[in-house]
Amino acid sequence: MATAEIPYQETVPLHHPKTWLGKYVFSQDHKVIAVQYGITAMAVGLVALVLSWLMRIQLAFPGLLEGFGPDEYLSAITMHGMIMVIYLLTAFLLGAFGNFCVPLMCGARDMVFPFVNMLSYWVYLISVILLLVVYPLMLFTDVAPTGAGWTLYPPQTITAGTPGADWGIVLMLASLAIFIVAFTMGGLNYITTILQARTRGMTLMRMPLTVWGIFIATFLGLIAFPALFVSAVMMLLDRLIGTSFFMPAIVSLGQKLEYSGGQPLLFQHLFWFFGHPEVYIVALPAFGVVSDLISVHARKNIFGYRMMVWAIVAIGILSLIVWAHHMYVAGMHPYFGFFFATTTLIIAVPTAIKVYNWTLTLWRANIKLTVPMLFALSFVLTFIMGGITGLFLGNVIIDIPLSDTYFVVAHFHMVMGVSPILAIFGGIYHWYPKLTGRMLNDTVGKIHFYFTFIGTYVIYFPMHYLGFVGVPRRYYETALGGTFPDFYPPSAHYLNIFITIAALVVGIAQLLFIYNLVHSYFKGEKASDNPWGANSLEWRTPQTPPSHGNWDERLPTVHRWAYDFGVPGHDTDHVPQDVPRKESA
Amino acid sequence: MLVALILLAVVLGSVAFNFLSPWTFLELGSNWALIDFTVLVTFVICGVAFVILGVYMAWWVYKYKYVPGRLSEYEPENPKLEARLTIVTTIGVVVMLAPGLVAWDQYVRVPPDATELEVNSEQWKWSYRLPGEDGIFGHAHNKYITFENPMGIMEGDPYAEDDIIITSQTVKIPIDRKVKVLLRSKDVLHDFWVPEIRAKMDSVPGMVTYFWFQPTLLGEFDILCAELCGRGHHTMRGEMHVVSLDEYETWLDAQVTWAEMKAGAIPLSPEAMQGRSVAESNGCFACHSLDGTRMVGPTWTNLWGSTVQMDDGTSLVVDEAYVRESIAEPGAKIREGYSSEMTPYEFSDEDIASVIDFLKSQIQEEEQVEQPESVE
Amino acid sequence: MTETTAPGNESIFTATARDWSSDVTTFKGVPWGKAMMWIFLVSDTFIFTCFLVSYMTVRMTVTDPWPNPSEVFALAIPNELFGLQFFESSIPVPLLLIAIMTFVLISSSGTMAMAVNMGYQRNKKGVVLLMVATALLGMTFVGMQIFEWSKLIIDEEVAAWQNPMGAAQFGSFFFMVTGFHGLHVSAGVAYLLIVAWRVGRGHYDHTNFEIVEITGLYWHFVDLVWVFIFALFYLW
Repeated sequence: MATAEIPYQETVPLHHPKTWLGKYVFSQDHKVIAVQYGITAMAVGLVALVLSWLMRIQLAFPGLLEGFGPDEYLSAITMHGMIMVIYLLTAFLLGAFGNFCVPLMCGARDMVFPFVNMLSYWVYLISVILLLVVYPLMLFTDVAPTGAGWTLYPPQTITAGTPGADWGIVLMLASLAIFIVAFTMGGLNYITTILQARTRGMTLMRMPLTVWGIFIATFLGLIAFPALFVSAVMMLLDRLIGTSFFMPAIVSLGQKLEYSGGQPLLFQHLFWFFGHPEVYIVALPAFGVVSDLISVHARKNIFGYRMMVWAIVAIGILSLIVWAHHMYVAGMHPYFGFFFATTTLIIAVPTAIKVYNWTLTLWRANIKLTVPMLFALSFVLTFIMGGITGLFLGNVIIDIPLSDTYFVVAHFHMVMGVSPILAIFGGIYHWYPKLTGRMLNDTVGKIHFYFTFIGTYVIYFPMHYLGFVGVPRRYYETALGGTFPDFYPPSAHYLNIFITIAALVVGIAQLLFIYNLVHSYFKGEKASDNPWGANSLEWRTPQTPPSHGNWDERLPTVHRWAYDFGVPGHDTDHVPQDVPRKESA
Repeated sequence: MLVALILLAVVLGSVAFNFLSPWTFLELGSNWALIDFTVLVTFVICGVAFVILGVYMAWWVYKYKYVPGRLSEYEPENPKLEARLTIVTTIGVVVMLAPGLVAWDQYVRVPPDATELEVNSEQWKWSYRLPGEDGIFGHAHNKYITFENPMGIMEGDPYAEDDIIITSQTVKIPIDRKVKVLLRSKDVLHDFWVPEIRAKMDSVPGMVTYFWFQPTLLGEFDILCAELCGRGHHTMRGEMHVVSLDEYETWLDAQVTWAEMKAGAIPLSPEAMQGRSVAESNGCFACHSLDGTRMVGPTWTNLWGSTVQMDDGTSLVVDEAYVRESIAEPGAKIREGYSSEMTPYEFSDEDIASVIDFLKSQIQEEEQVEQPESVE
Repeated sequence: MTETTAPGNESIFTATARDWSSDVTTFKGVPWGKAMMWIFLVSDTFIFTCFLVSYMTVRMTVTDPWPNPSEVFALAIPNELFGLQFFESSIPVPLLLIAIMTFVLISSSGTMAMAVNMGYQRNKKGVVLLMVATALLGMTFVGMQIFEWSKLIIDEEVAAWQNPMGAAQFGSFFFMVTGFHGLHVSAGVAYLLIVAWRVGRGHYDHTNFEIVEITGLYWHFVDLVWVFIFALFYLW
């Protein structure tokens, strides 16, 4: 392998800030930016968690919450969904893990444009503030958060029958547009760093799968977010100056509106051209993280690395041509159903291969059941459940009875809610020692794991069956004692109550995690440079936590892939990437 | 050991739940048995894959747990095994997809002998139109909609005269007759869904969407809205009665045609007309019916001057003070059996007076009820 | 992949495969900024694609009549100038203004290409002059666009929400897409001027003036997008 080229970063000096503000607030160090992204995303995620409690309480015990009417309920589902998908998962997996892992794992000093990277975080923060400012505004004005559902389907989004149709939606769309700007700034950095700023010997096919996942996810984001941006702009124009992009002639609550000739379906196409890749923007980094976690903690090479890489690439490409499987009942041309059902089910093949390879990695391994490993294992099981229910919904005819029911809710929470969250938890438990120099508490971590995994599973697994029974999603009341007569067996209500209680317990269990993060930061056991015995470069930094610039004068040289575990003929059970190959090997 | 057991418990527990829990599809009420069959095929294939993968995971986690000093087997890849797994997966996918696509092909091809039923949706109620004796619908578009012409039927279209207009939320269809459902929307997206029928489709303003089915089960079924349509989404509930042909004919004879509806419209006084347009432009009729149907809010038919029960056990006579309070501060008094969902409105005195005039016009009994004293 | 470390007569496929399987950089000899600009332009392409595809869908399905572009965008040549009468009456010429605008913008791509060439020769003065010329052409374009907008808004009474000649979407899409493109041109003008100023100040003397080429990439992209807008809005 040619290693003649000298990484450019080795020759340019880093700009070291002198002030406290420059080091910790307006820092250009990718690790600090990662932490900023992570903390902000978790904070906004807590808001969404509280919203989900309110929703669950209303569903199980209608009327218990004073002042939580249909308007508040719809606002809660909308904000919960949008926050979780975009401001938590996308921001955490790409903003936090992306920033932390990409330069360290590629052996770079930092992102290629640290200043742009810093801007990315601050613009993201602006978008978060703009999103949440609606809550303080609610107290003083009659501005309400939008209740259009996270899919924001027009015409409903901007007509009077929907809460927040006047200004709540404007804030939401503006916040999304700004988020896309922030994402683009960060994403350009990740891709350029991965393509152009690796260290000696680090070929693409030696990169850890985490980097691969982030790489393809970012690329998808740069292609898919424009569609959301465009639809947000067009809807803002519809709302603010009265254009009719998405608005046909309608009579809303007795009033003829000034619109005519627009296409509601156009919005759905644009939205899902973003929305489906978005699923993989969240899933692919999680795939990568889990692959690395399983391999490291099972002390075995990831099974079928090349297949794993090509599966990520294939999923990424295919994810761009399946978007209309979200629109089977939307009234689009029926023949689209054949095409999109077929492409959707084809995606199952590379995805299944990934699942097989994770499972096969366990075979004849030497499995350490550490907390990160527990989360990785639970991810695989949860993801299988979410994946196979996806096969139900992707098959167009099965989607007909199940779409817009709790089956869909259960499916996407399993596959892109719980699974990536489990991967995020696993990743945090895994990399926390490198980030802070201290270990997270193992016992608390295990308790947190059992509550989270079993808890979320018993929330969402039975929920599929509510969908079979026919409980529609986004209903303010589905319970006994509600205003409207029920069409499903009353026993389903007890399931509803059970799910709510489980959700409350799981939510409270997350406090353990926050406690663990904070407590261990000050009191945790000191971590060694490589506590898990991992091979990838981030564990080979001269300092723990790595200093600004990550490496000494010279960047490390890579001689092998990141998965040399259990290689015969070595003293240890793992051989890090920067250990030279023996002459004989 | 514990972890392996938990993984195993989760897998086997899921299977047990599937077989032991009482929750599954409602009884099939239409010809779409092929949908249920495809679901079954998918269930079997996916269930088997889930169990195999889960059990292997649990078993290997138990069998290959950490032993210090032991090396795991070094096998970067096994192309033969991976190829086999890929082929097996592909076969599984094809087996699931094939019946699905066949069923979809039937779903989108409406048989020529299907009769048409137009479903009109608006926030938050359903209404229906049948093509009448000529079998052809009159042309309709949202731009023609007025209060007297709620379906936006084009003026002067000869095909429209015999169209049957059903403004109540209940529709009846004869058993075993193939029905092509045409969906229109006045305002936002809705979705016509009867769980027992399985089929559903969104209604989109500006478009006519469709699906078809053949009811095979007698009974009264709920029509749900399955696409988020604003704050009253969960209350948008119609009824579909699948009945014998005789019963259907009797019901059909009692329905009014578009021509009869136009002729039979009760003239309103100018004041009542004014009140109606105030109420209409404020969206009152999204929640208050004018035909006695129960919606989110109480019906306005025969409301004025009647004695109504409140949820705190008291009762009162609907008079000007009550109407005024209910508009400005809807939460102050709640009718029994209803919940506080209305937002406050600021009406001028003139508007309130006109709305009261309209309420008075909605009293349908022969004799006028006694006027409350507070009204001049 | 302009400069590969490839020995001699290697096919493009083997060269690509070798570059992609090599370490350190995938695109050999490509500076970070240039790689980043390329990736950004891919993303930006999707923004314009979404706008234009939306436009095409609506245009094809809308039922109200769509105005004839060669009439709406015609520019009348005045029959007199400075008191001198040239013609009997003013002559409307279809697409006259737009042809001039397109010509101006394409010319600016030419000056930009020359600036990049000057950059390679390390001719700072040439770079600055040509970049300023490019910026001036860009400003001319934006100025003419403002003129065209005002003509549409005042004379034809077209607005984003209304269109006396038929489908309201005509105005909506026209103003949105040309406006978005105009913003790109304006941003490009600012970008050009800043880079030109910094080149003049000697800010990039230690580099190979890649920044000029990177700026050029953006500028050519904006021009290329205009070609599509031109075709889809004015010729369709």
